[in-house]
Amino acid sequence: MITLPLTSVLLTATPLTATHLTAGSLIGIWVSIFLTLAIFSFLYEDNPIYKLAEHIFLGISIAIGATEIYYGVFKPNLIDKLAEGRLLSIIPLILLVMLLLKMTKKFDYMAKVPIAFIVAAFAGVKLTGEANANLMTQVAQSMPNLPEVYREHGIWSWDADGAGVFSSIFLVLGLCACLLHFYFSAKQTKSMAVVSKIGIIVLMLSFGASFGYTVMGRISLAIGRAQELLGLDKPPIDVTITSGGDPINRMSLVRMISFGTLILVIVFLAVWQKRRTQSEE
Amino acid sequence: MYQLLKRFQSMDRRWVFLGMALAIVIPTLYPVHFPTKVDERVQSLYDRIDQLEAGDTVFVSADFDPASRPELEPFFRANLHHMFSRDVNIVIGSLWPFAPPLVTPMIEDLATQHGGVYGEDYAFLGFKLGNELAIKMIGDDILKAFPVDSRENVTADLPIMSGIRQAQDFELIVSVSAGFPGTREYVLQIQGQYDLEIASSTTAVSTPDYVPFYKAGQLFGLAGGMPGSAHYEQLVYRDYPVEGVRMMATQALDVLNLGHLYIIILIVFGNIAFFLTREVEE
Repeated sequence: MITLPLTSVLLTATPLTATHLTAGSLIGIWVSIFLTLAIFSFLYEDNPIYKLAEHIFLGISIAIGATEIYYGVFKPNLIDKLAEGRLLSIIPLILLVMLLLKMTKKFDYMAKVPIAFIVAAFAGVKLTGEANANLMTQVAQSMPNLPEVYREHGIWSWDADGAGVFSSIFLVLGLCACLLHFYFSAKQTKSMAVVSKIGIIVLMLSFGASFGYTVMGRISLAIGRAQELLGLDKPPIDVTITSGGDPINRMSLVRMISFGTLILVIVFLAVWQKRRTQSEE
Repeated sequence: MYQLLKRFQSMDRRWVFLGMALAIVIPTLYPVHFPTKVDERVQSLYDRIDQLEAGDTVFVSADFDPASRPELEPFFRANLHHMFSRDVNIVIGSLWPFAPPLVTPMIEDLATQHGGVYGEDYAFLGFKLGNELAIKMIGDDILKAFPVDSRENVTADLPIMSGIRQAQDFELIVSVSAGFPGTREYVLQIQGQYDLEIASSTTAVSTPDYVPFYKAGQLFGLAGGMPGSAHYEQLVYRDYPVEGVRMMATQALDVLNLGHLYIIILIVFGNIAFFLTREVEE
């Protein structure tokens, strides 16, 4: 067991030397807080502030994606090479034009060639990896070496999260039951029905574990935003806003901005709701 | 009682959200101390990195974006701190377009703290598009995958890259992965082919998919989600508090526990209310 002084996680020893917070950084903090609260406002109801944040997010995502693709793919792999006079690069350019012809009615059949090329290349790249690393290795691992497992963990080891002979046998039986559940060509006898039911239970356990992890992931994201809104996303540090001004704790500053923005969002929602109700009447 | 249970079932969902907000904000402000046990998969990851010797070179693939930052940034920071403090050379690359602007300040921050010299102790090769094909290239010829680094230097000219031509030349690969392309693609495309030692830090959502890779020995360590990052932080920063460091995943772990507890309570009460009211109605 590791015991940590968790209170000190929030109140770390000595703050570092005060650094000057530029207007840009200050605006950056506010924008981040405002957009977070704007997105969270959807939990109350779909509203204009949420829509604004959603559109900003979408626009920026597309802009970054397009820029990255231009500078990461088109420029080094096509434009630069053509500029250097490497004529073989005309082939991908032709394939690209053929792919774009998909948007026309007259020549859309020409897009089949680059699509076939993409599918074949993708299948080729994926197939070897899937067959070797996923199928073969995982099937081999599904058959545990019981004497070795017993030597290492015994029947059941609490220290190793339940590893042991019992878990290994459960794994093999559960795997077989799952496979038999999807074996549709066999006649559904009573014994097959029992095995199939066991298979369903094992599948449910697996889905439950995955769902649990998914919930954990979503809560983690919410915690991340809460840490940022409360100024706990950076080490404790003093900052100055005006040059030569008194230093202020960054965490306190962020909390003040968060609180102010929260009030702003709540007031906006109240006004918006009131006006909407009036217009409906 | 029946009316109360009925009202509970038809409660406005916004009360549930408000309850969740309180379950997150209150313990964030006033932490409750829950003892934790370091996961075996994280311990294995830590132990292997701890065995590295000064001068060894590790490739870190930073494949995450702002959405997965709360789960993966704490690991990424702790991992760089761990390797910098052991004088291990770190080469970082990324397969996610949103990663470079996110990780560059973190890398520079950690490098400054440890006095790391760019090009000698660490290098950031930037973003490489191409998903599986990019990973294949990293496996075959990393200098071809990243001809120039994030500072427009020729990668082959960097002192840190001397003797390194392909993924096999790195002592280890650490994949900090939020999804596709990430750990799964590294394992499928190059781990088996080159017999590479790969560790992964991943989001909670991806963790169940990667556990079989760990069990099969295709990954030597796995830090899953916020708890994985928290456990790794606790192993790396044993002498906490350290000036200028905030253990974000560790401070989040308590909150995560209470958030889960809140959901469990809602599920239990919801089911009790459902069955009791149904009984009465029947």
